[in-house]
Amino acid sequence: MSDRLGLALRAAPIGLVLALGVAWLLPEPAGLSPEPRDGGTAGRVTATLDELDESPVVVVGFDPDVGTYPEMRPVVRTLLAELLERGARIVIVSLTPEGRALLLAELGRLEAAAAPGDATIVDLGFVPGVEAALVSLSRSVAAPNAPADLATRLAASGLGIADLIVVVGGNDVGPRTWVEQALPRVGSPPTIAVAPTTLLPELLPYVESGQLDALIGTPIDGAAYRAAADPDPAGVAADRPVDRLALLVGVIMAIGVLGQAFAGRVVPALRGSRRGERP
Amino acid sequence: MTGFFDGLPADVLATWVAAILTIVVAGGLLGERRAFGWSQHLLAGLATGFLALLAIREVIVPRLIEPLLADPGSRVDLWVGLGLVGLAAGSPWLPRSLTAFPISVALGSLAAFALGGAIVGTVLPQLATIIARPDAGPAGTVIAVASAVVSALVLTSFLHGGKRGRLIGWAHDTGRWLLIAGLGGWLGYLLFSRLVLLLDRIGFLLGDWMGIGL
Repeated sequence: MSDRLGLALRAAPIGLVLALGVAWLLPEPAGLSPEPRDGGTAGRVTATLDELDESPVVVVGFDPDVGTYPEMRPVVRTLLAELLERGARIVIVSLTPEGRALLLAELGRLEAAAAPGDATIVDLGFVPGVEAALVSLSRSVAAPNAPADLATRLAASGLGIADLIVVVGGNDVGPRTWVEQALPRVGSPPTIAVAPTTLLPELLPYVESGQLDALIGTPIDGAAYRAAADPDPAGVAADRPVDRLALLVGVIMAIGVLGQAFAGRVVPALRGSRRGERP
Repeated sequence: MTGFFDGLPADVLATWVAAILTIVVAGGLLGERRAFGWSQHLLAGLATGFLALLAIREVIVPRLIEPLLADPGSRVDLWVGLGLVGLAAGSPWLPRSLTAFPISVALGSLAAFALGGAIVGTVLPQLATIIARPDAGPAGTVIAVASAVVSALVLTSFLHGGKRGRLIGWAHDTGRWLLIAGLGGWLGYLLFSRLVLLLDRIGFLLGDWMGIGL
């Protein structure tokens, strides 16, 4: 490797970070703001929420992972805030330690941001066993900290009392696990999933088949939903969303690097074949 | 909230710690290995401590010790479970025929839950969606057939050993290329996801820590 190439390789990460930082500071062009559409993700989420009765019981499976949570965090906060504003009684559970750690942070934030005074959030804590835990929770849930009526219903019917299930997924446990283990056992209530982009290929078939009523699987979907919902932006939903201009710059740079790497292998091979060399 | 300009002392401290650690990890990207290695050890230690705390506070004490202390006679299931855990923990010293039992139970249960769920929750509903689409127009039918063909070709690519005819060989090779294309697409999603993570950290340093652009 030549000195020049070595220097360029060492400087490339600095250049990337600087370019992204500058893009982050620039104002976002209007053309990058997604418009909520009726049939789009935001419309589906809102339509699902509109069909709920007054004071619905919403079960939230909270198992994001640290590596992908930043892209979902603004949406999760907005969704929780909207559920609270709609008077939902939230029963929340984590099946992974990582999800539990992030949930504790979110619950602390909700408390500090003064969630509505009459909000009901029942924290079921960390339940080990993933698939086995979901099967067990589908039958019966012990919730000693819940209001008496809710605790009785949870003990008798488990997650079957849910009017809506919201799954915040990560790489380990996500909407697929809930679709496979919980939904068939609790009568398939309406289900909204929030998942990282990497899970999109795995989850889109569930939306097509109707097993998931709505899926927010990309930051752009998330931005559209936030634009449509916008509950109390200074309160419990407050967050810094992903900067779309910086994202665009990053994607263009990534495509450039991949193209350069591809060309670096293909062009010499083509030149060699013209000269009659075997690859 | 910005750690530089307002907030409670605890928030300021948390923001500074997070900012310093972010810079240390970013330093690893730029070639600074010593502090980066130290931060990896810190992460491993914190994760282990959190796991231990979680196991003791939310699993072992409330789900095992408290029920057993409250009514030791009526929880036979917990005693059996505890016995199996003891057998697994003593595997270096106990006969293999004994220690194989709890591990077999764990693996068998895991496979049964996963397989049963996959068939009931994924395979059958997805097949039903492909076969019986109530609102399928010509485009929907073409997509459904294409999905089925791609699935069959990729499954064929997992055939190994034995003699393959010309047709199966072609299907095997095509399926393999489709699989590689799928992995490439997934890599693109992964790259996008990690880019968002990097942007989140840059936004944290510039916005939450330095207070720029707020």
